[in-house]
Amino acid sequence: MTKALSPWRDPVALLAAPAVLYLLALYALPLVWLLAKSFSGPAGLTLAPYAEFFADPFNWRVVANTLSIALWVTLVCLLIGYPASFALARAGAALQIAMLVAIILPLSVGVVVKAFAWQIVLRRDGVVSQLLVGLGIWDEPQRLLFTETGLVLGAANIFLPFMILPIYSVVKLIDPRLDEAGATLGATPIYRFLRVTLPLSLPGVVSGVAFVFSMSVSMYVIPSLLIGDRFQTLSTLTGRSFLFMRNEQLGSTTAVILLALAVSIVVGSGRLARRLGGSA
Amino acid sequence: MADRTAFLDVTGAEKSFGAATVLGGVDLGVAGGEFVSLLGPSGCGKTTLLRIVAGLLAADRGRVRLDGEDITGRPPHRRDVGVVFQNYALFPHLTVAENVAFGLKARRRPAGEIGATVKRFLDLVHLADFADRSVRALSGGQQQRVAVARALAVRPKLLLLDEPFSALDRKLRETMQIELRRLLRELGTTSVFVTHDQDEALTMSDRIAVMNRGAIEQLDTPETIYRRPQTAFVLEFVGLSVRLSGKVVAATAGKIEVDTALGRLRAGGNFAPGAAVMLAVRPERIKAGVVGENSVTAALRDAVFQGAKIQLHFEANDRDQLMVETADIPSGIPAPGTMLALGWAVADTLVYAAP
Repeated sequence: MTKALSPWRDPVALLAAPAVLYLLALYALPLVWLLAKSFSGPAGLTLAPYAEFFADPFNWRVVANTLSIALWVTLVCLLIGYPASFALARAGAALQIAMLVAIILPLSVGVVVKAFAWQIVLRRDGVVSQLLVGLGIWDEPQRLLFTETGLVLGAANIFLPFMILPIYSVVKLIDPRLDEAGATLGATPIYRFLRVTLPLSLPGVVSGVAFVFSMSVSMYVIPSLLIGDRFQTLSTLTGRSFLFMRNEQLGSTTAVILLALAVSIVVGSGRLARRLGGSA
Repeated sequence: MADRTAFLDVTGAEKSFGAATVLGGVDLGVAGGEFVSLLGPSGCGKTTLLRIVAGLLAADRGRVRLDGEDITGRPPHRRDVGVVFQNYALFPHLTVAENVAFGLKARRRPAGEIGATVKRFLDLVHLADFADRSVRALSGGQQQRVAVARALAVRPKLLLLDEPFSALDRKLRETMQIELRRLLRELGTTSVFVTHDQDEALTMSDRIAVMNRGAIEQLDTPETIYRRPQTAFVLEFVGLSVRLSGKVVAATAGKIEVDTALGRLRAGGNFAPGAAVMLAVRPERIKAGVVGENSVTAALRDAVFQGAKIQLHFEANDRDQLMVETADIPSGIPAPGTMLALGWAVADTLVYAAP
């Protein structure tokens, strides 16, 4: 075993240079600017913008909207995506490729296009409404567009691949013999799932949840098109602050709050899963 | 089989995958406490038969009975049949002790009993010091012992082993074989062992079922399998053999005389004159430089020194194979080309219909 060279002495580290420069210039610097802006007042360093933000009950509503939509979207994606990843991972080679194409191909369609498509689907005379009336679940056609349910449905559809793919990549590596071993030891299917399959698939669930949650907590185009201005989230509020209100202070404050929420949930869910996985 | 009560009784097991028949109506009876090996080349159906007994695969036809109960349709977790898998299939997220405890916990045994049983079985496989290690940190031999302890800790009625030694190196494999056999004998566990390794099967088994193309060709003790192989396949698959093809020229009351490329030879068997047959002898039953009941003279082609024994290969035509295994040659290994007399007993001469 050779000892790894320090990154400064190992020429391979240079290969990362373009990526590092790109991220520094276009991501890290604006982020620093954003942070600085939100913490600076006329008298230097201050927490005043945050105090101001949280003093307004309307802003609490915005934070609640953001979190609840993101949690619902993540939950729907998890409930649909978790079993789907197993179907995908355990399918025969040809079927697996067909299913992967079906999951990945829609990613090449822009979010705006998909959101517009969902506008049509969710209308009072759209297919969802017609289907539910046809099945006798609804008595008369209803509009799902510009409702929170409609937003969750549309967003979950758009983010679903980001739940399925990470779980699939972990599940694919779980040896099917482990389930058989559990069975021959006298464990029921439910016991095997809870004690073997679930803990081993948790790393995939964590990355899927982190992907979908961080994307849906910060989504901008989808809520703009599927629910509109009456339902504000942190990201639409950030957008309005910069674009319409010209309030850079408010915009950077909401952006930092959004970032803090997303990072803490992603990090927290990872910690939780490691604890669950370790003690299973 | 008449004098044995079959503890495991498989009757008429058939299995096809698509157009390929993997098992064609196999019967297998295993007595309580017995260790039976399923020996055969890859694709002979031995693993399929094992999976059917474990309930991991449903047979197309046939019954499986265990300890007097018909378990044919029972799911694996209600069969009481333990399996040691070829790749061990240890739970990677659990420690050694948690792996061994898994089956006991799944069966909701009291915590005190689980602790004691896990300790006992880890002691039995000499892994007591490794209880809290991750199974990923273990060597192949240690993993195999965890797999054995895990399967045995629930005290299954029957233990199935699917080539559990194939991933180990030769030295370790031999030690583990003896150790496992001793452990199973102590516990009195009825076991069915799948292997393609004849030495493994001969070393460990009470009886061996030699399988070929989805059927059991012979089920007998290791000694009988080796000394009296019933079919040419068993003869060729287990051990080395001298093979001489020829034609029956005389047959009287279970004795035949056969003309071969190396002369006329005698054997016991019921074949009509004119029948094409293959004569076979185990190489260590032949004495070089000695005239026996059956004798041939052949030119030495090659001598292979193997330490404890010496293999002498002789010139023969394409269909025949002529070799002798001998402990030592006091006069030294003869030079290639030397003509040697080879002699053996009629009783050691096996006869098969020509393939």
